[in-house]
Amino acid sequence: MRLELDAVSKRYGSATALDSVSLSVDDGEFFTLVGPSGCGKTTTLRCIAGFESPTEGTVRFDGESMAGVAPESRGVGVVFQNYALFPHLSVGENVAYGLRFTDPPGGGTRDERVAELLDLVDLAGFEDRDPDSLSGGQQQRVALARALAPGPDLLLLDEPMSALDARLRDRLRRQVKRIQSELGVTTVYVTHDQSEALAVSDRVAVLNRGRVEQVGRPRELYHRPRTRFVAEFLGENNVLDGVVESRPETGGIRVGVGDAVFTLAEGRRVLGQGGSASGDRAETDGRDGGRPARPETGDSLTFCVRPEQLRVGAETNRVRGTVVDTEFQGATTRVRLDWGGTELVVAVEDGGEESAAGFEDGTTLDIGFAPASAHIVD
Amino acid sequence: MSRVSVRRVARVLEQRLLTLVAALTAVVLLVLFYYPVATVFADAVLVDGRLTVEPIATILTSEFYLVDIIWFTAKQAFYSTLASLALGLPAAWLFSRFEFRGRETLRSLTILPFVMPSIMVAIGFVATFGRNGTLNRALSAVGLPPVELLFTLEAIIVAHAFYNAPLVARVVTAAWESVDARTVETARSLGANPRRAFRDVVLPQLLPSIGVGATLTFIFTFASFPIVLALGGFQLATIEVFVYSRVRDLAYAEAASLAVIETVISITLTAVYLRYEASQRSAGGAANPLPRRSVVPSDWTPKSTLRTVGIAGYALVVGLVFVVPIASMILASVTGGDGGFTLANYAFLVERQATGASFQVKPLPAILNSLAFAAGTLVVAVPMGVVMAVLTTRRYRGRGLIDVLSMAPFAVSGIVVGLGLLRGLVFGVDVLGTRIRVTGALAIVAAHAVGAYPFVTRNVAPLFARLDGRLVESARSLGATRTRALVDIELPLVWTGVVAGAAFAVAISIGEFDSTIILAEGAGSYTMPIAVERFLGRRLGPATAMGCLLLLVTSASFLVVDRFGGRWGEL
Amino acid sequence: MRRRSFLKAAGAGGVSALLAGCTGTGGEQTTTEASGDTTETTTATTTEGTTAGGESPTLTVGTYGSFVDAPSSSPGPWLKETFESEFDATLEWQTPDSGVNYYIERALQGVESGADLYVGLDAQMLVRIDQKLDEALFSPAEGLSRADEVNEQLNFDPQGRAVPYDTGYISLVYNETYGDGDFVAPETFDGLLESEYAGALLAQNPTSSATGQAFLLHTIDAKGEDGYLDYWASLKENDVRVLGDWEDSYNAYSNGEAPMVVSYSTDQVFAAESGEDMAKHQIRFLNDEGYANPEGMAHFADASNPDLAAEFMDFMLRPEVQAEIAVRNVQFPATTTAELPEDFAQYAQEPPEAVTFSYDRLQNNLSDWTDAWAREFARK
Repeated sequence: MRLELDAVSKRYGSATALDSVSLSVDDGEFFTLVGPSGCGKTTTLRCIAGFESPTEGTVRFDGESMAGVAPESRGVGVVFQNYALFPHLSVGENVAYGLRFTDPPGGGTRDERVAELLDLVDLAGFEDRDPDSLSGGQQQRVALARALAPGPDLLLLDEPMSALDARLRDRLRRQVKRIQSELGVTTVYVTHDQSEALAVSDRVAVLNRGRVEQVGRPRELYHRPRTRFVAEFLGENNVLDGVVESRPETGGIRVGVGDAVFTLAEGRRVLGQGGSASGDRAETDGRDGGRPARPETGDSLTFCVRPEQLRVGAETNRVRGTVVDTEFQGATTRVRLDWGGTELVVAVEDGGEESAAGFEDGTTLDIGFAPASAHIVD
Repeated sequence: MSRVSVRRVARVLEQRLLTLVAALTAVVLLVLFYYPVATVFADAVLVDGRLTVEPIATILTSEFYLVDIIWFTAKQAFYSTLASLALGLPAAWLFSRFEFRGRETLRSLTILPFVMPSIMVAIGFVATFGRNGTLNRALSAVGLPPVELLFTLEAIIVAHAFYNAPLVARVVTAAWESVDARTVETARSLGANPRRAFRDVVLPQLLPSIGVGATLTFIFTFASFPIVLALGGFQLATIEVFVYSRVRDLAYAEAASLAVIETVISITLTAVYLRYEASQRSAGGAANPLPRRSVVPSDWTPKSTLRTVGIAGYALVVGLVFVVPIASMILASVTGGDGGFTLANYAFLVERQATGASFQVKPLPAILNSLAFAAGTLVVAVPMGVVMAVLTTRRYRGRGLIDVLSMAPFAVSGIVVGLGLLRGLVFGVDVLGTRIRVTGALAIVAAHAVGAYPFVTRNVAPLFARLDGRLVESARSLGATRTRALVDIELPLVWTGVVAGAAFAVAISIGEFDSTIILAEGAGSYTMPIAVERFLGRRLGPATAMGCLLLLVTSASFLVVDRFGGRWGEL
Repeated sequence: MRRRSFLKAAGAGGVSALLAGCTGTGGEQTTTEASGDTTETTTATTTEGTTAGGESPTLTVGTYGSFVDAPSSSPGPWLKETFESEFDATLEWQTPDSGVNYYIERALQGVESGADLYVGLDAQMLVRIDQKLDEALFSPAEGLSRADEVNEQLNFDPQGRAVPYDTGYISLVYNETYGDGDFVAPETFDGLLESEYAGALLAQNPTSSATGQAFLLHTIDAKGEDGYLDYWASLKENDVRVLGDWEDSYNAYSNGEAPMVVSYSTDQVFAAESGEDMAKHQIRFLNDEGYANPEGMAHFADASNPDLAAEFMDFMLRPEVQAEIAVRNVQFPATTTAELPEDFAQYAQEPPEAVTFSYDRLQNNLSDWTDAWAREFARK
């Protein structure tokens, strides 16, 4: 099923929860809404499910407006963060609940459908158990099975993992992804955890203060964040503000940041390419329309460089910072530097047991980055 | 094909059912409450068709009304509320934290005072607390001086506690039983001693229910009337006594003004309480109720001994305030004019049943009518109350106003409602040349439901508020209509509240007098309280016998409601 | 205004049995809606079928509850049976809870009275009616053949609408066995103020009880318009108990809460019926007076059967009917021609002197007097 949100706004009194949100999700797609708490992602999901009606704008399922369609008539499966299992019903009855209102998809009996779903979530034989007697992860799988039992066209997952511990979360996430792709059900997944968003999604929408900041494939968002917010929210980033000093004939842009001048490669992203072209074209085009295509001399400019793009001892764009602290993270070590009052984070690949010796607090370090690895944002 | 369309129609209906019930509730309230009351209240602000504040201003500038009547009424209601809490809270503690034989039955019977006609209470109280009453005989037996309790403010307060302490006990017991033991265990594990854990964890979860008990007690005793005159006397007259006097004297402007002031005070209090209740959002359900212990401790430590002595002392007070008056009533029904044992009063009931004329009240039809109206009230008031509770826990504009308006039947003088019903419904309204009248059995049931449904709402709403909204949303996304989600998911989870509300609804219906007699179409639709009143004579015998029947029938109904209701909830 | 009356239970049962036999067809209600429908429309008349079509006419009579439905005896059933056996008519009783106020209220709301006759009026009610209504609720009773048999002194309606059919006297009832067993009630109103009678008297709220109202009027008669409030202030000081209604106070009296209660002078009739100790039912007429409260009947101005109503009024005044009413309502007859059974006369006491306020005296005063009393007595 194809889901579209067309300029959906939701206001509570004078507070705006959603500000003209437009999205489209393709059939079978695993689409994630990510953003800090209060960004409007849950409100978006509730508008899709029909628990809230938009103040303005339209939600469409396969082109059909859902205005005035009750939640029970939308054919949507919902899984909540706190599972919301019916405490007075057994696991089997919970899963079977949606089958009271529709025949089991696939033509089998209700019991067969329940067994099938419980099997799918690796809980075969749990029919008669009390929800209270299950662990958090098991309860969440029951909730998933319950949501899937009537064969919904659209699956909505509202922070389904956030109450679970990290290891369980990883496992369950993979399981959800596997089941989703097996069933091919269009899925909208809400999370505040950017790494989760990047890990499982076909595409991700980043929301901030009720607005869509950017929509795209995980890699695209990571490498080509369009706004400062996206750059900082998805993964770690070094975001620097500067002024265009010149545009040499040889190409590139020279940008002054404090005392230093960096050379950046020309352009920052190419429109109409890759994932960003599919669902969010209108929005992307609309946003880009008003900005000068080329930054001119004297323009202020913000760019970002990922910690792993900062290299110790690199030749280009070289600056010297003082080590503030280091954090060993296994494959890499995060080194935090103070560069004239600006903090820079460098991810250094781990070079074995003794390699961190050179990054002791207070030592100075020369780092740099390739012009092409920097990325200009709004 | 037609089966499919029937199903579709049924589903559409189901989707609209809550709205429909809410609309019906509004219509019933409008027809049987707001419109009738408005016809009376209009007299307070309309003189010769002109809008004026004069009647109300006259009262508000009268020192007599302000100080001697209104202030005094508030004062006695306040004391009555304190006494009801003092008498009711220990009962809630016993009912929710202890296990003893007959606990369930006793709890069911706590509703009895609700249905007792004031004359029955007066008979019981005079026999208990009078000059020659049980209390004074007991005191003199142990060499103590007698107590002069009757015809004092104290007598009124005790009688008000008799009526309202059971209400407090019921409401608070329900809350106490739904306190999750895990919350207490958590507090204890964090280093709180039992007293501290109670104060920090249990008490906050009980406060809303204590609040509702206290608020309702205040409102009810604020509008108290027959019992004030029966056990206190006219020197202790309340607002309602004057409302009645003025209505009887057809001085409607003054009566309506007094009633308006009375209502405003009660409504304000209700609004304050509802605001407080809305601000309380206690978490958790009753998955793990607190453990019960035996009334008789297993080992006699100083603490447990003290507790047992306290319980015994409380039992004595309960015996005096509740058991002895009721026992006195039963005794009065089998005592003849010469003071000896007699069954003449019951023989009278049998004879009246066998030979009474059709325009006279007969016991059996009265019992059957009471039961039929109670059943009808149950069927009407429970859905009304539940739907209002759903609305109450939802967020929307003007919710506060709807909340208060839906509680108004508690706050308006019964005398005013009665007069309004007479004017608005019994006499009828001219609509396009035909006179629309609303009387008879259905009108009585509707009037009872108006008085009863706020009890359902108040019992259910706090439990609804505790439920996770996602449960309903989950159910709806799975295909359940709002109504189905209510029936399948919410109601089973708040069932204790529904049963408690249903019991109140039955009690209100059985005990109701004013509207019933006004809307009844002759003796054929009279109920047990009306029979009690009609059988009053110079000697109270026949009335007490009818009163005992009333108690018996009511007790049986409550045991059925509680047992059957409880079992149904487990299914 | 409700008056509870008692007589031998067996006698009442017998009458009722006869009655049940001849009225078993139901349909006794005078408001004629079919039960079951919540909302319905009815046409203007509620009394149906006058003589047209050969059906017997229906006489609808409003009254207070205990006149037809007291636990021991009430005149209602007997009257209905006797009247119907003689006249080709059906008698329907209407007993609205608020008594005559119900009909006043109907008139105020512009609704037809719905009855032919009201039984149980007194002077105070007439004053209320005339004060509240501009148009006549009742019409003067004209052409009654037995009007002159009514005791002249009992006629309380100067406009001749209400015709007395019985009368009662309000007095004190006291208990000789109270305390040390030698209690004697005072003989005068002033005596009630003696300290030995502190807390000794139970009275009733004059704003809601007939006996209470009569007792208040009696004090006004005894102490004067200017003196009664002071008198009551002294009574209050002496702990008089003013309870809600007659039942409350008589219950307290029966339980020995106080040795005196304001009640009817026919109290001993009841006591004799139920074999009680007469010492506990002594009658005292203060100042050798009893306050007379005659009860009357009148037909509604919009009665649909005025002729039948007049016939019924004449019927009520017959000597044998008067005697029955008196015995069954435990009151005294209103006519000079009635003959009372001996045992009734033995226990029903009449005061040496009867006092009562005339309609003219009550008019424009009654509510002021009561009001002033209430404000005085309810002062905390």
